[in-house]
Amino acid sequence: MLRATPLLALALATTSLAGCTGQIGGDPPDDGTSESSMCVVDTPIRRLTRFEYNNTVRDLLGDLTEPASIFPPEEEVQGFDNQAAALTVSDLLAEQYMKAAEGISERAVADLPALLPDCDVATSGEDTCALHFIETFGRRAFRRPLDGSEVDRFKALFDVAIDDPDMGTFEEGLALVLQAMLQSPHFLYRPEFGGADPVDGDVVKLSDWEVASKLSYMIWNTMPDEQLFAAAEAKELSTKEQVAAQARRMLQDDRARDGIKNFHRQWLRLVYLDTVSKDTTVYPAYDDGLRDLWRQEIEAFIEHVIIDDDAKLGTLLSAPYSFLNAELATFYGADAVGPAPEGEELVKVSMDPTRRAGLITQGALMAVHAEGNQSSPVFRGKFVREQLLCQSLPLPPANLVIEPPPLDPSKTTREQFEEIGNNPDCSGCHSLMNPIGFGFENFDGIGLWRDTQNGKPIDSTGEITATDSLDGTFAGPVDLAGKLAASSEVAECVSSQWFRFSYNRTVTQDDACTLDEVNEVFADSGYDLRELVVALTQAETFLYRHQVVVEGGAP
Amino acid sequence: MSRRVHRRTLLRGAIAGGAVAVGLPWLEIMSPARRASAAPAAPKRIIFWFTANGSLPAIWTPPSDLSIESHPIHAPLAPHKDKLLFLDGVDQKIAYESIGDGHQTGMACLLTNAAILPGTLFCEGSCEAGMEQYVGWGGGVSVDQFIAGEIAKGVTTKFRSLELGVQVKSATVWSRLSYAGPDLPVPPREDPNQNFNDFFADLGTDPFALEVLRKKRKSVLDAIKDDYTSFNARLGKDDRVRLEQHLDAIRAVEMRLDATGQVGEACEVPTVELPGPDYQQNALYPVTGKAQMDLLTMALACDMTRVASLQWSTSVSNVRFDWLPLILGEGHHDLSHYDDAAGDAQADITTINRWYSEQFAYLLQRMREIPEGDSNLLDNSVVVWVNELGQGNSHTRSDIPFILAGGCQGYFDTGRVIDYGGEAHGRLLVSLTHAMDVPVDTFGVAEHSQGPLNGLAL
Repeated sequence: MLRATPLLALALATTSLAGCTGQIGGDPPDDGTSESSMCVVDTPIRRLTRFEYNNTVRDLLGDLTEPASIFPPEEEVQGFDNQAAALTVSDLLAEQYMKAAEGISERAVADLPALLPDCDVATSGEDTCALHFIETFGRRAFRRPLDGSEVDRFKALFDVAIDDPDMGTFEEGLALVLQAMLQSPHFLYRPEFGGADPVDGDVVKLSDWEVASKLSYMIWNTMPDEQLFAAAEAKELSTKEQVAAQARRMLQDDRARDGIKNFHRQWLRLVYLDTVSKDTTVYPAYDDGLRDLWRQEIEAFIEHVIIDDDAKLGTLLSAPYSFLNAELATFYGADAVGPAPEGEELVKVSMDPTRRAGLITQGALMAVHAEGNQSSPVFRGKFVREQLLCQSLPLPPANLVIEPPPLDPSKTTREQFEEIGNNPDCSGCHSLMNPIGFGFENFDGIGLWRDTQNGKPIDSTGEITATDSLDGTFAGPVDLAGKLAASSEVAECVSSQWFRFSYNRTVTQDDACTLDEVNEVFADSGYDLRELVVALTQAETFLYRHQVVVEGGAP
Repeated sequence: MSRRVHRRTLLRGAIAGGAVAVGLPWLEIMSPARRASAAPAAPKRIIFWFTANGSLPAIWTPPSDLSIESHPIHAPLAPHKDKLLFLDGVDQKIAYESIGDGHQTGMACLLTNAAILPGTLFCEGSCEAGMEQYVGWGGGVSVDQFIAGEIAKGVTTKFRSLELGVQVKSATVWSRLSYAGPDLPVPPREDPNQNFNDFFADLGTDPFALEVLRKKRKSVLDAIKDDYTSFNARLGKDDRVRLEQHLDAIRAVEMRLDATGQVGEACEVPTVELPGPDYQQNALYPVTGKAQMDLLTMALACDMTRVASLQWSTSVSNVRFDWLPLILGEGHHDLSHYDDAAGDAQADITTINRWYSEQFAYLLQRMREIPEGDSNLLDNSVVVWVNELGQGNSHTRSDIPFILAGGCQGYFDTGRVIDYGGEAHGRLLVSLTHAMDVPVDTFGVAEHSQGPLNGLAL
């Protein structure tokens, strides 16, 4: 429902997609070629991100060196780094692919028995073992069986090395094959062509191998395991039920933790933790070591809620527990209740339920969304609007001098920001941010609880406005967290973020049917995040695509 | 549940921010004969130097006689003042016609003189409604990439161009200076440790091993080119464009395998103080920056490229200059937002600007120390200091604090301050193409680039 405030144009819930991005690359489904009634939007071809590349060579070769970490950062789209439309390849990246492949292959052939466990060159001969390697390793590297011409091409490259007196060894031959495979589009990208026969209009079903990769990169952010490959081989990724069963199995695997943490690092912008810096004259309890501890805390909490606890979004946003070690317990002081943890390991600790609720009251988010020397109702309100409600805020007016108020020992931060909010130049946006951000005023700029500031009592009452269903006043951070935790609007925002992360693209108008379906399942499950992930694998847009239209043959 | 300790955390612990000096053993890289044959005149080079958040125009403009010896910002540049051109009153006019916020337009238009493309890449929350404020990438080729492309038509250097960054970290329209074309941002190389290897490993390898390496790379690249060609033919239109771009990048890498370049007389594997794996940590900003400057200087001395950039952080940079005696000590962008009357903040901004002047002076000094025949690297180059804004607190994109350094083999009439009183910066970009002998009449939007700036050239 639209309302007539300046935000209104901007505060649409995710299901109303007027003015959204339209076509996301790929082959347009609405160009007259599509007669399908199915809910299918294609995604541009996906290139592996640095994170996925590192995970993939880890699982493919046991290479733990994280060679992709030196690649240039991914071009982001709306905060996510795995968006197909933005992942292009520069000269620099092509060169780094080459060098990374050289390093990986050198390490791999140094341990030949591990690389080629089931072929003995001494008894079977080099040619046989090379072919065996190309077929077995190639199937895992390309995440599907190689066809005959591909095998021939890699064998020819192997022969180049064998026939060259400057190289000439079996290991050199395998190394070149490995390098070529690791720079191949079949390794670096995740192509999806689908089958030959349309099921409805021009919509085709993805192959079992394509579904295996799609599942593994979505849930694990890495290549499929042997079970997925075996299922693909046996054509057991063909029905929705089979896909759901695999997705559920995968969510129980440790690799799902990687994917879940990767999603939350991006959704919650935890990367900003790296550059947090606080004025220690204002915050003597702060030292830079806290940044990494806060990160560990929030990641451990998220993992626990989604994998080990009930996976409910409400739990994520309001659970009265966290994960602390001795140093974090000291930091939180009386807010951590029960026996204090000892040592460096993070353990589950109950938190004072009148002060702490879920991830948004944790040190990580409270410290990131603050200034170096004071809290920031603006940043905190903005975070709730943008990341939890998926609303966009207008830009500040051009050429306006924007500055945080200087510290004033006679006032509370809230009093100072209320003055900004009353300035007519600023009130348009600040009336949307500040009244929510004030709810966190019990937390100072590093996330420590306070009842007073500068001798005055903290007022952490606030109000949510300009939402479909969440409008109203609240009293303090726990009350605010509870309202957010119970809100279907927040839940639908979260599902749209998972959509973007999982499908590697933004939401288009044509995705309303998918989101409606996914949101219904999500709601019926009591907003169970594991069920949300499974629901995303059940959508037609996950399992199908429009047939590729090849224009004019080879370029 | 198990708590896994991340491998990189351990590495960080082991190195703990310490700096590591690395120098490869200097093997003869060129036979004496080749050295002697490297006689042709040194080439011209162009280097872009980016710092963020504007300056303080009231202080920045130096006196017309260039008496900057005790200038609050420019004093470190005094030893080089006869090599400098301070440009006053040059405006990014296109930035006011482009979609996007002050920093976005200031950054994306800076070297392109083109408006930002519409898009939905960088909105927070959801990208709905109010479409006019949503932006994509920059809308044209940047002048450095244009010049590099023109030079590449005649000579193949080891790198077509070199984009270096100091803690750029992100990849958004706020953080990309160079564009290969519309919608094609070029990422900078941010890791000095890696750069050291990329630039100089070949120099430190014996010629036979190098030849075998080239041969292997050629065989592999040949094989994967076939792979891409057959793969690309199966793709739909948009995907194919993307993969063709990848194939072009592979071809460019392949071409460079053969490029040894003309190695300058001062070319050698440098000893560089490298920052180690923590090069992205705020505290190592100065060490990382210095390493990049040292690497850049030697890459130019070795003629590995003729076109380069060094981008310090990004637009909206919030680097904390904890190593400087600041009063408020907030991040750079936070400080840049204070009102003109906020004396402490203005003092801090001045101190930060002066620090960047010191770094600029360091690079100029290093370049002067590279002899090239009767001249030196700096005199054969032009170093162009650019900034996305004029004044930080009001986000003006007028009166950008441009400084040119080096005469570019006598093209520029240096040692002056010139007030252009509101000329479009596109004309400066045109001037740069003339200085580099690849002249164009206009660059980017023609309306804002009508010929070179008057009075710059000798």
